Amino acid sequence: MITLKEALKLSKEELISLKEELKAKIADNPELNAYIDVLNVGEGIPIAIKDNIQVTGWSVTSGSNILKGYIAPYNATVIEKLLAANMSPFGRTNMDEFAMGSTTESSCYGKTLNPLNPNCVPGGSSGGSAAAVAAGLAVAALGSDTGGSIRQPAAFCGIVGMKPTYGRVSRYGLGAYASSLDQIGPMTQNVEDAAILYDIIQGYDPKDSTSADRNDGTVSDKLDPNVKYKIAIVPDYVKDASEDVRNAYEKAIDVLKSAGHTIVEKTLMDPKYDISAYYITATAEATTNLARYDGIRYGNRVEGENLKDTFLQTRSKGFGAEVQRRIMLGNFVLSSGYYDAYYVKAQKVRSLIQQEYNKIFDEVDLILTPVAPRTAYEFGALSDPLEMYLSDIYTISVNLAGLPAISLPVDTATNGMPVGLQLIAAPYAEQTLFNGALSLETKLKG
Amino acid sequence: MQIDETLLQRLEKLSFLQIPDEHREEMIAQLSEIVAFVDNLSELSTEGVDATFAMSDTATRLREDAGSVDRTINDDILSHAPHSQDHFFIVPKIIE
Repeated sequence: MITLKEALKLSKEELISLKEELKAKIADNPELNAYIDVLNVGEGIPIAIKDNIQVTGWSVTSGSNILKGYIAPYNATVIEKLLAANMSPFGRTNMDEFAMGSTTESSCYGKTLNPLNPNCVPGGSSGGSAAAVAAGLAVAALGSDTGGSIRQPAAFCGIVGMKPTYGRVSRYGLGAYASSLDQIGPMTQNVEDAAILYDIIQGYDPKDSTSADRNDGTVSDKLDPNVKYKIAIVPDYVKDASEDVRNAYEKAIDVLKSAGHTIVEKTLMDPKYDISAYYITATAEATTNLARYDGIRYGNRVEGENLKDTFLQTRSKGFGAEVQRRIMLGNFVLSSGYYDAYYVKAQKVRSLIQQEYNKIFDEVDLILTPVAPRTAYEFGALSDPLEMYLSDIYTISVNLAGLPAISLPVDTATNGMPVGLQLIAAPYAEQTLFNGALSLETKLKG
Repeated sequence: MQIDETLLQRLEKLSFLQIPDEHREEMIAQLSEIVAFVDNLSELSTEGVDATFAMSDTATRLREDAGSVDRTINDDILSHAPHSQDHFFIVPKIIE
């Protein structure tokens, strides 16, 4: 597939034929199920859009039965920005219901296959976007990352996925899961494309009260793989990962050293605490955000005997099992008698996690960690909810601390599947993040 | 922390959800397992740590109270709602 950088040079006619070609290829690969449907807006470069980002006139459903029939009445800010940059929203990609999952198996549209091995999951929750890019069915895509939902599927499918600093990209028009953690980001074929797409979607937006009001300029025109950085590695953190992941980690360290970067060893708190702080925070926010789905104003309604019964029937039949579980958990941690012990405690631990990262970034420019403890899982392997939560150990602290991070393919496992690793930077240090990632990518290819 | 049937009923009420009989036992077991796991936070000392956490100190700033209503959005939302009439959402009767 043509890269985003190359696509920027295409004429109007060439873009029309590129889209025709993409449509035909997508129709030829229905079993992959990366796309829910393929609509187009405008005459620009086609960008695949996760099913939780509003595009006017599209049925945007967050992979949920409860939103079937809903039509987006406005564009998300990122969509307005794409259109202004001569890019076209092109196709809705599959995802875990309300972005709550790590495999894309919980979508009401069925599972998406990993293009590199149809017995494996593409990761999640932005599994459709990752599979589309990896299968050559998209030039680039947008995903959203609440606890790793861009970076983990990127790693499982062998592509690049980037989560910006919290506040960097407007959340206006993003179907809310956990508002203090969600960020939209690029999923692309290489690091430079990710930087190009990031430049387009980032920036202050008065429509998002958590948007960062700052202008640090663009990064893609200043990419420099030759800047030498101090990069932290976290050996203790990696010991529980699979051998393939540990080998990839060693390989990346050697490559970064040979590229002239300085490597230092650091420690982070046991990631089991990240899991707890994350699942308490995310479910608490989700239960609040998902209270709006009551069958009255949009989506699917199941008529009950009275208003209360309508709420109950609509929600019980509209939400899938994992979403119901997280709503119940969220209500548990927020309910009287448990609020202080769970929700407040988690917010305090979140502060500790952020302080720990701040301390490391006082000394280093970047941190290198795995993205997932192993390569893509086979279908059904994460059917136990807690098992699935535990698989997020390497990605969620980044969201809890609001940091930017980028996942890129580093190695191939013995089973032939890609192994991705992530670089993490200090808040708003996206230039450093992309430079470091480009250095690693360039040296790996070299 | 063990979730029991009484607590499950309370959570269903708070969540406006009804877990079917055949899934109640499983739901109780899963929630109990997850809550038992997240209890590990009690191992960490958080003495003196602020109970509130904000990603940014500058968010939620004040702005001029300028109108910004796009009526077409209202109209579109109403036209796609499950049931609407005369620019209102229609709900089942709540007062006899």
